[in-house]
Amino acid sequence: MKNILVIDDDPIIQNVLEKVLVKEGFHVEVAGNGKEGLSKLDLMKYDLVITDLMMPYANGFEIISKLKQHSNTSNAAVIVVSSITHEASVMDSFKLGVDEYIRKPIMVGELILRVNKLLSNRSSNA
Amino acid sequence: MHSIFSGFNTTDTATWPWLDYFAGLPLVIQIAAVSIVVSVCFILFIQFRILQTRIRGYRLQKRLDRINPIIDAVISEQVILRNDLMADGASVDNIPLDLSGFEHPVFRRSANRQLLLERLISYRKSFGGKTGALLRRIYLELGLEKMSFSKMKSFRWNNKVKGIRELTDMDIIISDVNILPLTNSKRHELRSEARNAYIKLSKNEPFKFFDISTEPLLMWDQIELFKTITTTENIAVPNFARWVTYSNNKSIISFCLKLIVYYNQTDAAPAVVRLLDNKDHVLRAEAINCLGKLKYEEVEQQLIHIYSNQPLRCQIEILKAVGRFETGKSTAFLKQEFLYSTDFDIRKNAALSLVKSTHDPALITELIEASSEENQLIIKHSMNPLIKY
Repeated sequence: MKNILVIDDDPIIQNVLEKVLVKEGFHVEVAGNGKEGLSKLDLMKYDLVITDLMMPYANGFEIISKLKQHSNTSNAAVIVVSSITHEASVMDSFKLGVDEYIRKPIMVGELILRVNKLLSNRSSNA
Repeated sequence: MHSIFSGFNTTDTATWPWLDYFAGLPLVIQIAAVSIVVSVCFILFIQFRILQTRIRGYRLQKRLDRINPIIDAVISEQVILRNDLMADGASVDNIPLDLSGFEHPVFRRSANRQLLLERLISYRKSFGGKTGALLRRIYLELGLEKMSFSKMKSFRWNNKVKGIRELTDMDIIISDVNILPLTNSKRHELRSEARNAYIKLSKNEPFKFFDISTEPLLMWDQIELFKTITTTENIAVPNFARWVTYSNNKSIISFCLKLIVYYNQTDAAPAVVRLLDNKDHVLRAEAINCLGKLKYEEVEQQLIHIYSNQPLRCQIEILKAVGRFETGKSTAFLKQEFLYSTDFDIRKNAALSLVKSTHDPALITELIEASSEENQLIIKHSMNPLIKY
């Protein structure tokens, strides 16, 4: 079973993503802010991290750069889900190594397709 | 005649012994005592208000803790986790919906229905596509739009704002009769919300309120409207020259000039050129700025012709516009302004335009050699590619 970490400060998004991804057959860990997200990195090896950019305690950019350095997430795919639409933020995210950038409001169907595609690409490359 | 004060003798101090005592105290002590009493009363009042707010917040949280799980469970079952929604060709309008979960007795109270409405809006803000469309259908099937419309009819402006916001978030069309008068309301917050809603919701003529607006569009409103206009999908963009020519509202004309630039409406340029004869120099400066950004070269000689009788703000805009045209035909004019003007801003903008529009590098070298120390610095600054222009 693939492990996914969802970091978002919006309880509605946490709740929905957890339900949808569990239904798709993934193991999901949820964190409500950047600090909590970083503390969850030690728990297990993750295949995918879905994170927001604007969050309390640690923003998405800090989290993405930490993910790339942590042994449990250095090979994990990263999806940013954010309402920030500035070109600069999107570009910065990709420069930091993000695989997908999804703008809010999220289309659940699109998110599931992207998650499945990313994870199947990773497993076929491995 | 029997007086109502007959039983009360104001001169009788025997019943108010402390008043005698207080009157006998020195004036400074009397003032201090009164200040202390007033301060204590004020602090008690503030503490009471804080307590009241916290109790209200606690009760609201308690209600939310009870109601939100019920709402989330129904939404999960009816929207998020259903398989038929994501199937190819599935239409949101035809999917069967079981909303019996919302018939829970708790939702009979209007305050709780308001919480349900707010929760649905929160969901819709986070999720788009078919999920968002299905949430909108639930909102309509539960008749919650009636609550939003009734808020719009309220006498209180903040309720009207709340109603408009709810309807906009749920993408519910509001008739022109109801919304158009509010776009010209005396209350700034209401006016601003109504204008945003009108642009978002009106599919055919989203800018119709420009025709009736007599109240000014403040700078902050312009930023908000600009954001709404540029982020709303499938918006019908009209030719903004219409308002530049006929509107009596200067702020609307100013905003239209910015939109003309954003949508690069070069066919609006002749209407903008007519603004060069306007008596308001701020509007003239904005028109020149617009023409420069549109690169409407035809007006270059006219701008140079009117340059000498314009105020500083318009002169600076003319220099910038000439630089933006990049025709290289006005080098002599720019060179003269750079070398002989006494105003720093004029010299700086002339130098920037010279560097930008001249196609002769020898001219710049010649200018550097012939210039004073300060002018040399200005030219070097203008040649820096990192300086945005």
